[in-house]
Formats: sequence, structure tokens, C-alpha cells
Amino acid sequence: MSEPIPAPQAPSGPAHSTGNLLELNDIQAGYGRAAMVLRGLTIKVPAATVVCLVGPNGAGKSTVLKVASGLLRPRSGEILVGGRDVTGQGPQEMLSSGLAHVLQGHSVFREMTVAENVLLGAYTLRDKAKVAERVAFVQHLFPIVGERWKQLAGLLSGGQQKQVEFARSLMVSPQVVLLDEPSMGLDPKTTATVFEQVVRMRDAGVAVLLVEQNARRALETADIGCVLDLGRVHITGPARELLDDPQLSELYLGGRPAESALRKEG
Amino acid sequence: MTGTLLFQSLVLGVLLGGLYALLAAGLTLYFGVMRVVMIAHSAFLILAAYLAWFFHQQTGMDPMLSLVITVPLFFAVGVGMQRLLITRLRPATITMMSVLLTFAVALFIEGMIGFVWGGTQRRIQLPYSGDSVSFFGAQIAVVKLIAFGLAALSLAGLYLLLKHSRFGQALRATIQHREAAQLIGIHTNRVAGFGFGIGLATAAVGGTALSLDATIYPSLHWHWIGPLMAIIVVGGLGSIPGAAIAAMILGIGQSLLQVPLGTTWAQTIFYVALFATLMLRPQGFFGGRLAQRF
Repeated sequence: MSEPIPAPQAPSGPAHSTGNLLELNDIQAGYGRAAMVLRGLTIKVPAATVVCLVGPNGAGKSTVLKVASGLLRPRSGEILVGGRDVTGQGPQEMLSSGLAHVLQGHSVFREMTVAENVLLGAYTLRDKAKVAERVAFVQHLFPIVGERWKQLAGLLSGGQQKQVEFARSLMVSPQVVLLDEPSMGLDPKTTATVFEQVVRMRDAGVAVLLVEQNARRALETADIGCVLDLGRVHITGPARELLDDPQLSELYLGGRPAESALRKEG
Repeated sequence: MTGTLLFQSLVLGVLLGGLYALLAAGLTLYFGVMRVVMIAHSAFLILAAYLAWFFHQQTGMDPMLSLVITVPLFFAVGVGMQRLLITRLRPATITMMSVLLTFAVALFIEGMIGFVWGGTQRRIQLPYSGDSVSFFGAQIAVVKLIAFGLAALSLAGLYLLLKHSRFGQALRATIQHREAAQLIGIHTNRVAGFGFGIGLATAAVGGTALSLDATIYPSLHWHWIGPLMAIIVVGGLGSIPGAAIAAMILGIGQSLLQVPLGTTWAQTIFYVALFATLMLRPQGFFGGRLAQRF
């Protein structure tokens, strides 16, 4: 590992002109009266980049995405999208600022057709020409969506449902897509397809913040990797370098990350 | 049982089933949208029936015209009830706690009806109350036909609204995956409030249809809630088409059983169907995956 950057980083000044599409600065967040899950977390997602969050179970990976998409309000810290402060806004406002969130597990509307699912992705759009243009775009990006257009989404395979969810989230032309464990429950071949789609999204100009249990596979796809532990980012660096680091591999990409991380922290 | 009697029972069963379908639609909608068991639904039905009767008493006009007032009124009350009461319940225990909460609302409505109009039995007398038409040898009361027509129209409207309007899409998305619906920009709380309002608006129509052909009294709702609950469980909780099919089957069954068993015993078909469903297929017979998710 060349240059591990210790976290939390000092909050930077005014965020405009940093080139980051999404910035979470010094976020503290938790659920109800339970202890904080995120404790001073800072993450930056530049344009057309895949940033991958890895870390042991319970490190707060999914919570980061919930805070970013407005499902969970942070107790403190700031959220910037394209340099604009959107801290404390709900999911609807976050969506209109250019953030789309694809949830963990299956979140298609099972009793609706693929067409209804994808068109509901454009729920906030009123311009019919724009919607038609986006439909053509997502059908081109995810051919399976066009092929299964009239079928009930709940009847598709796990990997196909994931692509419908991706397509749905891209209907509003988001700047940043948050992906929560897209490979969960998928076989290795389908996982490979899903990661290829992640790369295609990036190549189409979308920034991706990816959370993955399958850390090694995710870091192979990502440009930047962040290692999250106990609610903070411990290391940020080029994904390739994190993969090649033997110590990190032992701690986070091997089989027993949680205990070793805790020992290290203690 | 003669052929004519059988046919007569069958036709009456269809008409009854259609009315049951409307009365149960709201009940299954609350559950589908919010996992709320709305014990007070039948109390609102009886309240609507009383309002129809009162409207007729005061104005002398046809009780069906009261719908112009009661449908928007019940919709507003439904939205208010969801906003002010239901959302106060913790999501984790909402199903259980909603039983208690809406039980209290039912008692309150019953008490208020008794307070305002007394405990006397009431019945609407209309010029066409005693009329009937002959249909292939069966005698069908006009009021039953009207009630069925109202039910069919409202259910068709509900179907079109849920299936084809933008609001309906948002409501179905909210039912199927609430968090995902939020993330595509749907204001799920607002949608749930409107869903509750629509459920209560169906109670206004159902109660008015009921008032045309029933003797009403304040505690009548206890007589209705059991069969309606049975219908939505048999049909699959949360599924409106499921509830409609179950309502039709049980309505016809009840009507046919009335001939050999009498009205009291015929009523037990609902509970037999309820027990059979819970034993054989707890997710309901027609509900599909929506109900299984719960």
C-alpha cells in the first residue's frame, strides 16, 4: 500500500470546484437511541468513478448509503451533491439533486411489469419526450430490460431483477448511483454480469458509490476503494493498491475480518 | 330445493357477493397499504348508512344523493385518521396496535350514533322499496339491484384508479416496496394517507348501498366486521381482486345455504371458510405473493 490516508480527514473548506459529485463530510449517524453507527465518516465520490466501500459486517456500509440518499438523517456532518449542501433532505429531494439509490436485496415492484417498474423510475419526470429518451437509453445499456419489457418483474431471475433496478434508478439521469450489495444472492456468473453493468454505468458518465460484501470482486471493478470499520473510513486509495496490499488482504479481504479489526482498534 | 328456488338463491347470492366485495375492498386496502387491521371499517359503513337515512329524513330526497356529501367527507376523515392516528403507531407493531386503536374508534362511532340518533332501529322507506323485477322466473328486489350496481361501479372505478392512474401506480409501488418507492421520489406517507382516504370513501358508498335494504342500529357493525374480516383473509390480505372473488364465492354460498339451514346458520360459512383458510392456506386463496410477504 503506497499512501494510506488516515481518516477522518479534516473537513475541507467550501466544496465547490473540488470536482467531487458527492461528498459526505464528518458524518455522525445512527438509528433511534442506539449507539452511533457512523462516527465522523468522510467520503468523496468524483465524477465517472466507481468508489467501493468495503469492511466487516456491521461497519456501517449500508448506513452510509442510507444517509447519502436521505433515508436516514445524519445527526451531524454535511452532505454535498455537486458542491451544493443537501444535508438533512429527504429521499425525494435527494433524488432531484441527482442521487439514485439501489437497495440491498430485491427491490423491484414484483407484481408490476418490467415496463411499469422502469417507467416508475421516471415518476418525478413530466416531460414525455425525455422519458422516451431515457427508456431507449436504459434499454440500450441493459438489453435484458427491453427483452423482458412486458413480463412481471417478480418472475425474472435475481440478476435480471437487479438490472431492472439499475435501469429504474437511471431513468432520472442521476449524477451519482448508490449501489448496496448488488451481488447479494447471485451466482458467480450473474455477479460478473452485474459488475460489468456497473462499469457500463460508469462509462456512461455516472459516478457510482458501491457497497459490497464481496470485497475482492468489488475492488477489482472499482477505481477507488475505501475501507470502513467501526463507522469511519480507515483507508482510502486506488482500488488496485488496496487489493495488492498483503496486510489489508489479511484484515479485510480474507475470511475473518471482524475480530482482527476489533483487536486492531482496541 | 326446486330449480326456481335454487336459481333465485343464486342470483341473490351474486348480488350479495357484489355488495360484500365493495364492503371488503376498503378493509383489504388498508392492510395492503399500511398493514393496518381496521376494525372500525364496518362502524364507518353503519355511520354512512345512518347519514344516508338522516339525509333522506331531512330532505326527502333519495338517500343515494347523500353520497355527494359522504364520499368526500369520508375521504377527508380517512386522510386525517391516517395522518393523526395511524402514523403515531410504531411501524414494528402497527398491525397489532391498529387492532386496539381502531377498536376504540369503532366504539366511539357506535357511541356517537347512539348519542345523536338513539338506539332505535331505523329503516329507509322509499317509493321503490317494495318493488321487484322478474328475471327468468326469479324475483329480484330493485334495492338489491341498485346496491349491486353501486358496488360494481365503485369497484370498477377503484380498479381503474389503481391500475391506470399515476396515483394508483404510486400506491401499488408503495404497497409492494415502500423504501424503493420513496427512493424513486414517491411521497409514500402522502400516498398512504390518500389510500386510507379511498378505503374510507368505499365505506361511504358501501354504507349507503346497505342502507337501501337493511334495518340499521348503532351496534350493527359488530355483525359485519367478522364476515368482512373472513372475506379478506380468504381472499389474501391486501389483495383487492382476491377479496372480490372471495366475497362473491362466500356471498353465493351464504345465499344457497340459507334455504336448507336458515339465515343464522348460513352465516357460519364465513367462519368455516376462515378456519379452513387458516388451516390449509394461511396466505389466502387468491392473494398471491403480496400476502406471503407479511
